[in-house]
Amino acid sequence: MPTSPDGSIVLDGIWKRFRADRRRPLLMEEIDRLSRALRRQERLVRWRWVLRDIGAHIVPGEAVGLMGTNGSGKSTLLKILNQTMFPYAGRVGVHGRVGALIEVTAGIHPILSGRENVYLYGSLLGLSRADVTARFDDIVEFAELSGAIDRQVKFYSSGMQMRLGFSVAAFLEPDILLVDEVLAVGDSVFQQKCLGRMREVLQQGTTLILVSHDLISLESVIRRGIWLRDGAVAVDGPARAVLGEYRAYLEGSTGRQVAQGPVRIDEATIRAADHGGREAALGGGELVSVPADEPVTITLVLASDRRERVEVQLGISEGSNSTIFTVRQTLDLPLGKSLLTCGFDGLPLARGRYSVWAGVYAGDGKPLAGWQPVTAFEVTGAELPPAPMAVIRLAPLVLPARWELL
Amino acid sequence: MASQEHAEPVGLVRFHRDLRLATVARDLWRARALVRALTERDFRARYKQAVLGAAWSVITPILMMVVFTLVFAKSQGTSTGGAPYPLFSYLGLIPWTFFSTSVSQGSSSLISNQSLMNKIYCPREVFPLARVGLAATDMAISIGVLLVLFGVFRYPPRGTAYWVVPLLLIQFVFAAAVGMLMASLAVYFRDLLSVLPIILQVGLFATPVAYGLSTFIPARWQGLYVAVNPLGAVIDGYRRSLLLGEYPRLGLTLVGAAGAVGYLMVGYLIFKRLETGFADIA
Repeated sequence: MPTSPDGSIVLDGIWKRFRADRRRPLLMEEIDRLSRALRRQERLVRWRWVLRDIGAHIVPGEAVGLMGTNGSGKSTLLKILNQTMFPYAGRVGVHGRVGALIEVTAGIHPILSGRENVYLYGSLLGLSRADVTARFDDIVEFAELSGAIDRQVKFYSSGMQMRLGFSVAAFLEPDILLVDEVLAVGDSVFQQKCLGRMREVLQQGTTLILVSHDLISLESVIRRGIWLRDGAVAVDGPARAVLGEYRAYLEGSTGRQVAQGPVRIDEATIRAADHGGREAALGGGELVSVPADEPVTITLVLASDRRERVEVQLGISEGSNSTIFTVRQTLDLPLGKSLLTCGFDGLPLARGRYSVWAGVYAGDGKPLAGWQPVTAFEVTGAELPPAPMAVIRLAPLVLPARWELL
Repeated sequence: MASQEHAEPVGLVRFHRDLRLATVARDLWRARALVRALTERDFRARYKQAVLGAAWSVITPILMMVVFTLVFAKSQGTSTGGAPYPLFSYLGLIPWTFFSTSVSQGSSSLISNQSLMNKIYCPREVFPLARVGLAATDMAISIGVLLVLFGVFRYPPRGTAYWVVPLLLIQFVFAAAVGMLMASLAVYFRDLLSVLPIILQVGLFATPVAYGLSTFIPARWQGLYVAVNPLGAVIDGYRRSLLLGEYPRLGLTLVGAAGAVGYLMVGYLIFKRLETGFADIA
């Protein structure tokens, strides 16, 4: 086997299965299962494949995001990388010291004090006592626990416990860092600190594997995306491309809920001024292309069974949940069908796939037609320029800017 | 999801771990700080909420010895070779308590640490071994009490006392082996946790703790007995070398050592074999 540098990961043909039949290990149930197997009504053991032929080569310093819906195998793969779980088949090469931020409170013992826990958790993560002592002040300061460090951890708030766990792990300096949804630690100030710390770690050349459902934070950190679908690699490539495909998939599988209010949105189209005729119809058809920064019109066909003063809300989202902006207009809705248009001078969006959402509300805010995705479109134009590592941008906006060196 | 239920695809290259003795030993050696940390955690956590705190670790062995003396001293069916009975029985009680603590604490070590085990990579053996470490800490305190007892009874340990070193080794190997075995089996059969206290209770009387080995087992069966229960040889050896100034019986000690090593090999093999499934089941 050729030696690989520290920080690299080689996965080859990884298969992992779990028992699909075991409910409880009760003797009666086991006997029942055995007897049915003997009568050939059922196979003795049934397996469910959770990872199928996963292969990936990750070079040192790469920041990789794992995405996929619940049950797609992300956490199982992370456990295999962490060597806490063993695959059924395949070859796993994880080179260098691995640090894992997976449920950071798991190693914390409630009866011990914060100080004792820092040492305990440090040694669990592979630090020597001297290592922990050298970093102790930094860890406590990072966790913002200097006043409570000698208190028993069971008297900590859950936020304090998480900060404690995260801070110890944050000073680990591993070759490979595995992170599972821990960006949701603490308040926004602490989150910013965590991202800052992650940025530092990445600059030192640490390999990062990040699992998150928060696609915006994911996007801010990773350079490469791996989308797992039913335990197999669906797409592996540059972050934004994979995220785009994954968002499109999520959107497709979300499904449009049929609103049964007094007002219906029968049709929605979006078109650029210069591209007459190429429209996206509600719920299908070819995806309409809209050039960035050109005038765009969104048309809604509304059907109302009452005459009412309503507020129409319209929004644009990337993927199916991160809304970028909304606009609203109050108007008197006539009985029956009516056509409503909303024009923009231009949408300063980066290249990608977006959804249009709409909702109609009564004066008191009660929904007459609930907030729903009505159509989707694609923006052509400039790619989103890369941001500094681990800087979260809330929306993929591309704004014209004038630069001058004076 | 139907697509996930497949028969095994053909041509899979099964996953194999590097289980050479050198690799395993190296990993374990690297994790020694972890064993210490876990031992320390369990030791600190155990008495943290008690009013008397760590004093309990001294009080418990003294109380045990007093109870033992009161209960068994009357039934003087055993010959101590002239040594005071409390010393005689305490020398049986220390290794037995060490063994029984290692096994009962060890058996639940993987289950009670499963959240940790599934998050942090380390050789899995560290969890049962840390419980052996916990039992060893208790034993160290008991040995302190023993030294006081030698003074109290004005019966100093004999010159052959150095023989306790190999005997201690046998005792550790045996306890670690059974601890690891029980820990790995308990992950799959939780029922074991309910049965073990009963088995250990029986074990207390099936081990020469209150009696001497010779009162207990006829001479021709002693070899077979210590192969199954190496503690028999260990306790007999302690009493001979510390109290009577004799050498431990060589044949018996060797058979006990072989038995302990046998347990270690079987225990470790089963542990390693079951290890791949710990994270899937727990």
